[in-house]
Amino acid sequence: MPEQTSAESSALLTANPSPPAPAETGSWSAYRSLVRWNIAQVGSVLPLVVVVQALLAAGIIIGFGFVIPDIDAATARYLATGAPTVLLMTVGLVIVPQGVARARTDGTFVFLRSLPVPRLMILLADLTVWLLVALPSVAVAVVVAELRFDLALVLDWPVLLAAVVLVTVTATSVGYALAVTLPPVLAQLVSQVLVFFVMLFSPLTFPASQLPEWFQAVHDWLPVQAAGDLLRAGLASEAYSADARDLVVLVAWCVLGVLLGLRALTRRD
Amino acid sequence: MTDDVLVVDGVTKRFGEVTANAAIGFRVRAGEVVGLLGHNGAGKTTLVSQIVGLLRPDAGEIRVAGVDAVAHPGAARRLVALQAQGQVPLDGLTPRTAVELAARLRGLPRRAARQAAARLADELDIAPWMDQRALPEGRGLSGGVRRLAGFAMAVASPAPLVVLDEPTNDVDASRRRRLWDAVRRLGDRGAGVLLVTHNVLEAEKVVDELVVLDRGEVVASGSPARLTAGMDDGLRLELSLPPGSSDPTGDGVPVPVLQRVSAGRRVLLVVPADQAAPAVAWAGSLRAAGLVDGYTLGPATLEDAYLARTGSAGTSGTGASTRTLAGTATTETSNHA
Repeated sequence: MPEQTSAESSALLTANPSPPAPAETGSWSAYRSLVRWNIAQVGSVLPLVVVVQALLAAGIIIGFGFVIPDIDAATARYLATGAPTVLLMTVGLVIVPQGVARARTDGTFVFLRSLPVPRLMILLADLTVWLLVALPSVAVAVVVAELRFDLALVLDWPVLLAAVVLVTVTATSVGYALAVTLPPVLAQLVSQVLVFFVMLFSPLTFPASQLPEWFQAVHDWLPVQAAGDLLRAGLASEAYSADARDLVVLVAWCVLGVLLGLRALTRRD
Repeated sequence: MTDDVLVVDGVTKRFGEVTANAAIGFRVRAGEVVGLLGHNGAGKTTLVSQIVGLLRPDAGEIRVAGVDAVAHPGAARRLVALQAQGQVPLDGLTPRTAVELAARLRGLPRRAARQAAARLADELDIAPWMDQRALPEGRGLSGGVRRLAGFAMAVASPAPLVVLDEPTNDVDASRRRRLWDAVRRLGDRGAGVLLVTHNVLEAEKVVDELVVLDRGEVVASGSPARLTAGMDDGLRLELSLPPGSSDPTGDGVPVPVLQRVSAGRRVLLVVPADQAAPAVAWAGSLRAAGLVDGYTLGPATLEDAYLARTGSAGTSGTGASTRTLAGTATTETSNHA
């Protein structure tokens, strides 16, 4: 044992023979600290995420516009109001699983789980930060749509805000559950496949009636269409409305995602 | 009334056919630094994961400051501060923010967290980097500073039990010494410290007790002095073999051999002190005959005791046995996902 300098030892050796008592962490304080931690971690990639969202929005709204040569106002509105859902779903089902997969391989996941904070707070802090990451995508999509099609959307703010939060939390919690339940490599693969499913095989940029009947029935139980309907009702309240079923389906998926995420955080193999 | 801050009793953990921990038992008392030594894959990190409630033992009992950690992992976690084996997730943060947040997460008020960060920056001599942001892909801060920040994060807030898993990896020699001093002070302040390492020689300077794990089992435990007992009067004759040659020390060693360990191209023999002259003469003749490249003779160390107890040196094909243990910090990486 190397000798300490006398200055060091006098400053640091406080005689205390009994084990130090740990301090108590309040849930709210833990939540705030975890949110700060997560924001710092995604902060460096945040501008990139916004750029990717803008490109994706442009890709959907402008690109899909090329596919339909003489686009009428109703189709343009459908396309424009579907795009935000595609973006929110992409953040939740692709960017979140990639972030969580990285957390599992770089030690963040172990570090967070070894902390004396309620597991629910770890999940809530994560969901909060992903919500902040996802939010700009709705604004980006609306701006791109207005620029391209010169649309005048009648926003229903309460519905829009509620829909954005619910859709984001659902997509994020399902993406989170995917990432913590499957092995990291498989989770990344599945999330890539889901992008194609959301962009090309979901009634977000085209009406559900264009799908085969059996596929419409499948979508009745999946969160994508329900999310699209709800957001549309908030973005263009003059043209679209959502029903209670959309809400129920979305909430059910949200609860499932949160429960699976919580289970993965609590589980001891 | 007991002052045990950690009791591990009969802990067994299997992953399929592999037994990572086999009926492990030891204790850490308040104010004590206990070293958990073992090769890579000996089961050290698996055991740590069970103490902090990330894995559940198949059998056995773990008590942290009196709390049953198997039944109540959440309650036990409040009593344990862990520096995990992997790097801490610092990217995007400065060490100061990370240490303060970690202290806050462990319940310290804001002011106390700030003071703890400043104190640890001085203690570990990392003040110049405290406000430098860690960036992805290892940019911004060196591995050593990240590791020290990880240590500071674990100890910023007081806890009855502190578990440090390979805290000196990537840390330079002078700061390693400061870190060992800080570890020793944790014990002096009343915490129990479980120090997981494969760095035998450095551990010897700081620990009160040692527990040696080999392939999931406790093969030796006790104070460093006790573990080296029997070697006190011994000398260590280390022979370096030429590549591809066979071990020339099988039969016909002209001096009594107290202990014999073969580690890669090294053979370590512990011989009685009064046999120094014939031992050197014999080793000299081996070198003259080209059977060994060189030899050294010196006092037997804890490393020799450790290698003898773990016994796997030279016999296992894992590669762990051929590593030099003395003073070199090798980096282990794994994840618990």
